[in-house]
Amino acid sequence: MEGCHRNGEIAPKLLDLNLMITQESRRPWFHDDENSVFNTEERKLELKLGPPGGEDEHASSIIRHFKKEPKDKSILSLAGKHFSSSPSSTKTTSHKRTAPGPVVGWPPVRSFRKNLASGSSSKLGNDSTTSNGVALKNQKCDDDAKIMEPMRQGGMFVKINMYGVPIGRKVDLSVHDSYEQLSYTVDKLFRGLLAAQRDLSSSVEDEKPITGLLDGNGEYTLTYEDNEGDKMLVGDVPWQMFVSSVKRLRVIKTSEISSALTYGNGKQEKMRR
Amino acid sequence: MTEEDSSAKMSEDVKRYLKLDPRSAAASEPPPAAALANKSRNFKSFEPPCPDHVLENVLENVLQFLTSRCDRNAVSLVCKSWWRVESQTRFEVFIGNCYSLSPARLTHRFKRVRSLVLKGKPRFADFNLMPPNWGAQFAPWVVATAKAYPWLEKVHLKRMLVTDDDLALLADSFPGFKDLTLVCCEGFGTSGIAVVANKCRQLRVLDLLESEVTDDEVDWISCFPAGETHLESLSFDCVESPINFKALEGLVVRSPFLKKLRTNRFVSLEELHRLMVRAPQLTSLGTGSFSPDNVPQGAQEPDYAAAFRACKSISCLSGFRELTPEYLPAISPVCANLTSLNFSYANISPDMLKPIIRNCHNIRVFWALDSICDEGLQAVAATCKELRELRVFPFDPREDSEGPISGVGLQAISEGCRKLESILYFCQRMTNGAVTAMSENCPQLTVFRLCIMGRHRPDHVTGKPMDDGFGAIVKNCKKLTRLAVSGLLTDEAFSYIGEYGKLIRTLSVAFAGNSDKALRYVLEGCPKLQKLEIRDSPFGDAGLRSGMHRYCNMRFVWLSSCALSRGCCRDVAHALPNVVVEVFGSDDDYDDTVIVDYVETMYLYRSLDGPRKDAPKFVTIL
Repeated sequence: MEGCHRNGEIAPKLLDLNLMITQESRRPWFHDDENSVFNTEERKLELKLGPPGGEDEHASSIIRHFKKEPKDKSILSLAGKHFSSSPSSTKTTSHKRTAPGPVVGWPPVRSFRKNLASGSSSKLGNDSTTSNGVALKNQKCDDDAKIMEPMRQGGMFVKINMYGVPIGRKVDLSVHDSYEQLSYTVDKLFRGLLAAQRDLSSSVEDEKPITGLLDGNGEYTLTYEDNEGDKMLVGDVPWQMFVSSVKRLRVIKTSEISSALTYGNGKQEKMRR
Repeated sequence: MTEEDSSAKMSEDVKRYLKLDPRSAAASEPPPAAALANKSRNFKSFEPPCPDHVLENVLENVLQFLTSRCDRNAVSLVCKSWWRVESQTRFEVFIGNCYSLSPARLTHRFKRVRSLVLKGKPRFADFNLMPPNWGAQFAPWVVATAKAYPWLEKVHLKRMLVTDDDLALLADSFPGFKDLTLVCCEGFGTSGIAVVANKCRQLRVLDLLESEVTDDEVDWISCFPAGETHLESLSFDCVESPINFKALEGLVVRSPFLKKLRTNRFVSLEELHRLMVRAPQLTSLGTGSFSPDNVPQGAQEPDYAAAFRACKSISCLSGFRELTPEYLPAISPVCANLTSLNFSYANISPDMLKPIIRNCHNIRVFWALDSICDEGLQAVAATCKELRELRVFPFDPREDSEGPISGVGLQAISEGCRKLESILYFCQRMTNGAVTAMSENCPQLTVFRLCIMGRHRPDHVTGKPMDDGFGAIVKNCKKLTRLAVSGLLTDEAFSYIGEYGKLIRTLSVAFAGNSDKALRYVLEGCPKLQKLEIRDSPFGDAGLRSGMHRYCNMRFVWLSSCALSRGCCRDVAHALPNVVVEVFGSDDDYDDTVIVDYVETMYLYRSLDGPRKDAPKFVTIL
């Protein structure tokens, strides 16, 4: 494979599906070795549901990818399923690998049409979906959880506002791998700002740490708005699932929880502004 | 920037004019007498104005009625004087590739532009095949037109990068601005929209379609000025952030000319009801979520069907972003009048579809998900005899998903909807028989896009490649201008396409063909080919070279994950000075020590002004 590329003369006849497959998974094109690309992909994909070791590596390589590609997603989902049989033609069945590699941008469906299967759209369901329709959806949720969707510049920045602080901040979720870490960052980001709001002449010693964001014990609680516009308490779901659905964060007063969250939907909250 | 070549046929009025005064065709340069005549007019002499001068005036008056850009391009080639007059009377400019010329050239040639249509990135950018920040910025265009055309009224952009600053400049520079349409654009947010809403007091159309709009937390709906607006069309279904409903309602109430309203999924069914009650004159409605906010409590629920009944003019319905199925029948009162129905965000089963579609006799455009199954398509075929355009998207867009539709649905549609002109069909399995049936039953087809999602899939009944099916399409559908192929295809399919695809302007190929011969067939055939986009197919240098004679007459050629070498791309670039050849995605951008000849993506396009200056680092222009 390598030789073909280095030559610069690629006789089309030599290209078989093997090459095409590996070309497809060449999408992280900073790797040299064809084979290792695919293996690296597989290794990456064997990564976990829980907070992983190679997280940062994963994140940085995704940054190199074009955004939002559920390539990894489809490898994972292929893993447990039977593959569409590619019958008869010799060319197509010559590929050695059992699964065709995942491909960027295929099928050619724009990203905003892609999340229908796992979204809230099917409220009362459609009986004629696949027999394992439910299983499909669950799996998709898990797959979603593994996929971090980096913003255009790389990193996953979400806005975070805090009650009592007029200026917002941004948090890069891709460099966090747990709620504790996030909580610590929130404290770091807002401690000074909050103290400054309270008393313009506050000194560093007067700054109170912001604690208890996740357990309801502190003066403040961390909440977020998810991709459906709903306001949620941070901490209920596995970290990855949280990261895949969070759109923005808000630090609210713990005493306001009942009123802030009762309205259920973000949109109603906005109307009342 | 002439889109068509001079062989485009002229319209009747131009021909008539030419017959009236054959001398005008012969004049290539206004004689010096014209200049004298100008001067002499100042002295109030009795010397009659030069005939060419008169001619130009007359021509100007005639050309004002010529709107088709093909005709205008032809007119401008007659002679210099015609070129000049045509330039002065072209009010609508269409630029199919923003990099085919510089903004300066536009403003230099056309002096009275009122409407600008600009397209940026090639279509494959929609599928993440193009790195972000590749280009297609609106900024240089808005800066140039702000100075040159303060009377600009309409801007229509597709796949461009538009920033909030660009929108602010637009809002500031064009006091008479009427129509902003952004399709598949990105780079801006609700704050940019807010500025447009606020400052463009003559705004009639604000259509955001399939664009990425950042949520800047700005209540842009409230930014429309108080008092009656001129709004005729407001589409924001792609805006993924909540909106201030009270403000929207107020806006609708004070927009008596509003005909098209497409809300986003944050508008609930109850809210939609309120809007419909206040705007019964609507002709096009995007229904938002189509799901109630609160669980209804008995008699409290609004009468949705009545609201639809009151909107007697609705002919176009879309939305249904989070459909709660039991409310779907509420749309029944408008079904008989519908000409366009978009269910492509709703997971609708055949049983949900049938009672609705049964009444849609006048439908011309129907978009849906494949959740309607072959059975649903059969229902469409049974009723929608006027269908012109069908698009069926996959509910589960993965290669190995089940795929509830197949050749059965396609064949049914072909038998029932004989007037079909355009089809986009995603499926997992297909047969040559069904495709051939469609080619025979639907001779009016101009657009045939079939996407068999599993790569290299043959006919699932016979096991043969899909060559015969696509061959039948190009042979029988004589009006075909756009074709997208998929499934297992050999070079033979492309020989058919090259030979019979006489009117094809756009061709999309993915995972197809055996060798360079396929690409050669296409480039040596298909005389009208303008846009060629190919990915993951075994086409290499020989294939690319076979098209050298025509690249300067095409809008663009895209080849990604094929078998091109850098050397060949460079050769093409050197041989064709009017063609810009971009390559990107190759390894050497990241690893300087390795010189790799392999080209991941090549994108070439004709350009009057040479290579662009705003190319990012990862793009190499050869």
